[in-house]
Amino acid sequence: MRMTSTGLLCGAVAVVAMFLVTPCIAQQPQQPGTFPQTKQVLGLEGVKHNAMGTLTVQKGTLEFTSGKKKTDVPATSISDVVTDKDSQRAIGGVVGTISMFGPYGSGRFLSLFRTKIDTVTINYHDSSGALHGAVFTMPTGRAEEVKQDLLTEGAHTTIPTAPDATAPPAGTK
Amino acid sequence: MTRTHIICALTFTLMASVFTASTSLAQDTPQPKIHASSIQILMVDSKEVTLPAEFQVALYENLVAEVQKTGKFQHVYRDGDRSATDAPDLVVLHSTVHGFKKGSEEKRQVTTVAGATSINIHCQITDKTGKSLMERDVTGKVRFFGGNLRATYDFGKKVAEIVRQSS
Repeated sequence: MRMTSTGLLCGAVAVVAMFLVTPCIAQQPQQPGTFPQTKQVLGLEGVKHNAMGTLTVQKGTLEFTSGKKKTDVPATSISDVVTDKDSQRAIGGVVGTISMFGPYGSGRFLSLFRTKIDTVTINYHDSSGALHGAVFTMPTGRAEEVKQDLLTEGAHTTIPTAPDATAPPAGTK
Repeated sequence: MTRTHIICALTFTLMASVFTASTSLAQDTPQPKIHASSIQILMVDSKEVTLPAEFQVALYENLVAEVQKTGKFQHVYRDGDRSATDAPDLVVLHSTVHGFKKGSEEKRQVTTVAGATSINIHCQITDKTGKSLMERDVTGKVRFFGGNLRATYDFGKKVAEIVRQSS
């Protein structure tokens, strides 16, 4: 019995290590305007909640591709783009839910392993003027890039983009 | 011994019936019925309380989805929909955020008892002229499982239930 519990705990630790290492290996150079590993939390017509896919901002449209499904939103119809930061459990989905019931509070322990994510929220109007909203999450550091790309393509925002912190202040030589 | 048992049983029955009666009285408060074939759902107003944009959008989208699921209205129009102006018997759902407490998913998962997220929203259904037909305060919560945005789903479900009962 004790051996089984120890084995389960070791297995859980191994799974955590695997999930923490995998994103580092999986990172590939991405094309400009393309944001893979994006989750559509809710809002896009015809796309399931929490669908994983690729977000593309090109040729005046925001396009979300999940499997064979593609959804387009014209950038000019986007009336607001807002970015935010959040975190999520490193081990999610069905495995994450099952691991919650691990012995000796190991499920709770695993909840402490978290990955930072960025959130992009858009408001847009369809052809009849009806207001829609959509929420996306993506790996940290990409939300501002999505926002910049959307603004370049003709989207609007109520919160102006923060000036680049790395840029030298005006007037310095 | 038998008499004591009978007295205890009677007392328990009496208390239970009083409790049941008071509960059913509270539930049987007549609710105003809304007769309309279409509803327009306006964007959630959060001028009083600072609400993150993702929560505002999730509240609105879940509200639209859940009210559509009730099947009580032939048309569910979104905010700004131009075709809503031609609808003959349109009612409008206004939602104003009064309170928001952003919890922590991590705290919920680690402690179970801490980190709840809750959103208090005042909902009002008016007719086209702005006359109020129904007003309610609804709280969306997430206590145990799910991310913080699940509170918005809970809110949508509760409003849909109110709409289902009142139409």
